[in-house]
Amino acid sequence: MRLVLSIVVLCVVPLAAHGVAQTAARPDFSGYWELRPDSFNVPRAALTPQSLKNADAQATNDAEALSRCALIGMPGLMDDRAPLDIRHAASVIGMVAKSPSSTRYIYVDGRRHPPADELEPTTNGHSIGRWEGETLVVDTVGFNNRGITRIPGGGYRTPTSHLVERYRLLDGGQRLTVQFTWEDSAVFERPHSYEFQYYKVRDISEPRVINCVPNPERTRFLTSGSVVR
Amino acid sequence: MRHSLAFVIAAAIAMLTGTTVVDAQTRGASIPQVIPDMSGLWLVQDPGSGNWSAWFNNVPKPAVRPEIIKDNAEIEAREAAGNVVNTMPRRADCPVGNLPMMMASSPPLNIVAAQGEVLIAAEAGRGRFIYTDGRPHPDTKAPFYVPSGFGHSTGRWEGDTLVVDTLGFPARVCDSRRPVMLVPGGGRAKDSTHLVERFRLVDRDTLSVTFTWDDTTVFLKPHSYSYTYKRVPEGIPI
Repeated sequence: MRLVLSIVVLCVVPLAAHGVAQTAARPDFSGYWELRPDSFNVPRAALTPQSLKNADAQATNDAEALSRCALIGMPGLMDDRAPLDIRHAASVIGMVAKSPSSTRYIYVDGRRHPPADELEPTTNGHSIGRWEGETLVVDTVGFNNRGITRIPGGGYRTPTSHLVERYRLLDGGQRLTVQFTWEDSAVFERPHSYEFQYYKVRDISEPRVINCVPNPERTRFLTSGSVVR
Repeated sequence: MRHSLAFVIAAAIAMLTGTTVVDAQTRGASIPQVIPDMSGLWLVQDPGSGNWSAWFNNVPKPAVRPEIIKDNAEIEAREAAGNVVNTMPRRADCPVGNLPMMMASSPPLNIVAAQGEVLIAAEAGRGRFIYTDGRPHPDTKAPFYVPSGFGHSTGRWEGDTLVVDTLGFPARVCDSRRPVMLVPGGGRAKDSTHLVERFRLVDRDTLSVTFTWDDTTVFLKPHSYSYTYKRVPEGIPI
């Protein structure tokens, strides 16, 4: 056994020195994860006066995006009501929601965000992850203001938004807790944090994605109440 | 959980080579399996075909049934007459996705090869799910099955090769130019079609995928061709 441990140590030490992502002893988040009602009690965000003023227009934009089947993006992808498919490889984590959306990628290979002038803003932004013990800390920038921009608790995603998420496995791997913290001086008076609990489910229903058909009538319905606020 | 000596050594080797290890012992197998890490962004290599149609058909010519030859000629004639824009509106029963087109298209494939499932996405909203957890295909003829242009894919590892089996394509697609899904070279993918793909890393930056299409209503014999994809280091998905 000593020989085996020596081999492992000899392998690990040079890799650590070169900044290569270490995954062998890390939690694997792969699976189907369902959000349940215990996550829907999100604290109210402290919004800037400008953000409060923009809230109605932003809600209308979101409703229109929903009606024309735009990609929902972040953070809507993370609070999709159908289970989220998370696949965790050595260098990257992929996340797929059922609602219309691009696959979200979190790079865990040690790369940094691209320079701002090379980063095409997207609904999901650009995400990189690093480990702090058993916790995966994910840093996301490079958002655009398309898709569904509303943030749980108030406020909305903008190109200047910065999101930090902390992922931890609990209950023997049956629960995934994610703490979200949004920063954006144009929207929030102070960083806005909330936590979601995802529960592992055995399977996911087919079809895996919604075949969304654009319907302009939906905008009127969605903006007639407080559905998208 | 106790791991075998072989598994621990394999895990150490995997850390050096960027591969993923599955502890086969926990699934009842006797030896550990080191899975090549195909995760990353991959760009299909076009040798210089000039345009989309030339590239899409730049594969060995399949032996197809006479009615397919006739249908191909009619499609070609309609295209020559200017019928090149899909005017069919999107409906709720329109199948999502198009596997042969996605695998041939220039937007890079973003592969996440993880435990239990391999994701392959390209461009926004387009993605395949390849189940490697041992599940079977569903009954694709059953009323509950909703066909997708990506079909239903299951995968298994044969040494260093991921062998992917796909069926359950839609009989028709929503396209006014041609209501069927085309296969490179002049074939078809439909509800009776079966596809086998073999994914293999030639080296760290080169991925080879061999496609073999089989459908007695389309092909006189199985139709095979291969694509080469090159890794896009630190590429940003489109």
